[in-house]
Amino acid sequence: MENNISQRDAFWNKVYELAKADRDIVIITADMGAPALDRIRKDLASQFVNVGIAEQNAITLAAGLSLTGKRVFAYAIAPFITLRCLEQIRVENAIMKIPVTIVGVGAGFGYEDSGPTHHLIEDIAIIRAMPDITIHSITDSVMASAFAELSCTMQTANYIRLDRQVMPNIYRENTDFTAGISVLKENKNTYIISTGCMTHMAIDIAYRLEKQKMQVGVIDVYTLPINDRLLLEALKGVRKIITLEEHFLPGGLGSALCEILNDNNLFIPVKRLGLSTSRGYCYKYGGREAIRNYYGADKDSVEAKIKEFLA
Amino acid sequence: MSAFVSQLKKKSYHIRKTVLEMCVKAGTGHVTSSLSGIDILVALYYGNILKFDPANPEWKKRDRFILSKGQASPALYAILADLGYFDRKELDKFAQKDGKFGVHLQKDVPGVEITSGSLGQGFGIAAGIALGAKMNKELYLVFTVLGDGECYEGSVWETAMFASHNKLNNLIAIIDRNYLCVTDFTENLMELEPMEDKWSSFGWEVCRINGHSFEDILDALSTVRSRRSGKPLVLIADTVKGEGIEYLSNIPLWHGVAPKENEADLCRTDLERRYNGE
Repeated sequence: MENNISQRDAFWNKVYELAKADRDIVIITADMGAPALDRIRKDLASQFVNVGIAEQNAITLAAGLSLTGKRVFAYAIAPFITLRCLEQIRVENAIMKIPVTIVGVGAGFGYEDSGPTHHLIEDIAIIRAMPDITIHSITDSVMASAFAELSCTMQTANYIRLDRQVMPNIYRENTDFTAGISVLKENKNTYIISTGCMTHMAIDIAYRLEKQKMQVGVIDVYTLPINDRLLLEALKGVRKIITLEEHFLPGGLGSALCEILNDNNLFIPVKRLGLSTSRGYCYKYGGREAIRNYYGADKDSVEAKIKEFLA
Repeated sequence: MSAFVSQLKKKSYHIRKTVLEMCVKAGTGHVTSSLSGIDILVALYYGNILKFDPANPEWKKRDRFILSKGQASPALYAILADLGYFDRKELDKFAQKDGKFGVHLQKDVPGVEITSGSLGQGFGIAAGIALGAKMNKELYLVFTVLGDGECYEGSVWETAMFASHNKLNNLIAIIDRNYLCVTDFTENLMELEPMEDKWSSFGWEVCRINGHSFEDILDALSTVRSRRSGKPLVLIADTVKGEGIEYLSNIPLWHGVAPKENEADLCRTDLERRYNGE
């Protein structure tokens, strides 16, 4: 796969292929576009529905369509297709267990120029508080494409959180993502556990630290609830863990990890790095790193905090 | 009054009585919200409007009935039990320990299509089913009953706009217009009228009827399978919250409350007088 394709395009290109072969696949958009969506709109018009800027209707409509045997993807800007219609998701997908795929683009600070209404830094905590919805926090375009396909096999609802920005691919074509976590860099003593765009930062920092004779491993968590059996296996003998997320700390990836460790009587020191709610929402511009810096979650700050934790 | 209508009236009486006793026994339930919609539901289920098969609740060609105002679940449960979807004994356990269903509508009950109780959502699901039916070239119809208070939910209007734009003429919405919300009459709280203008400006075919007149309801629905219009159809059915039991009627405080002891006796007397005193 090309390195510089967005997660969004990779995802919709795959859905386009799948929908071409399966007339029961329906794509609902709340007036969001993408080149691949334009192809769907044009070539597969009968399988494409634009509900306008009406996310609540997108979710209820998706539920109704699913009850008629359709495999539905409901798409919008990430904060709006999750939080605006959260209660619809709760009733239709978590309570009634209607399997639809909710697709949001712009996880974290993906809309870096758009201010806090468009940042999405609490969705993992909120969605994972509900049963019967799986979160797929996408790391790269290869994964985005794979989860388009995996979504069609889900028995319950899933939420695909796509990053808006183009990032290099970490994974090779045809990687099997069913495990929900991947050990990207092995280490016996220390791991950074990260999700989404922060996995890219985790890898960079791990190699920076390596040059400074400090060894840390990296585990990418892309499916929540976390595959705890696999994760605990990977963490056997590990002495320190850092979690890294572009997400508010309460309820996020770090919390999810601590829950697993605690419930399994594993008392490994954990440093949760991410966004502190004490900093509130922010009106910061000038790029993603500038916004992260406000929360002390830019690459240099994170590296310094990890070093301090490991010292 | 035709023999058929008088049969339906008898059925309405029977369902009202069942709903009252279910809720009295449970000490809970939305009695008045159920009472306002019972004639509509009886017309749909016993008036040869809906296509369904109690022996095969999942029958593919059945019409889909979506009770969007899920708080009126006792009315639907009483009807489904009467039709043989499940054992009537379940009604005695309504909202109690060991019971299978409670105050708001539940998807896992045979004959029930969705879980509802959070307002404004069933209507959207109904539109989704109607769209799916069109995509699948299925001929069944989708009927949905909304509360008038439910129309305060913005999502209702998102769906209303969508349904007309997409020509979902297989979707029939019936608004149980009982003029009451939880705390007050709708027109005091925030005007819902002019309802006909609102819905027709959203692109719906609108028909205003008396929701307690079987003649009116059946008349409005009798041609529903041969409509030429590409528009979805909405019936604004004027009703009385608490219809059939004067003691409970038109009093906001009776929302979501079941009568107790001597109140229940007053209700029973009212119901008898209304149906058997005529």
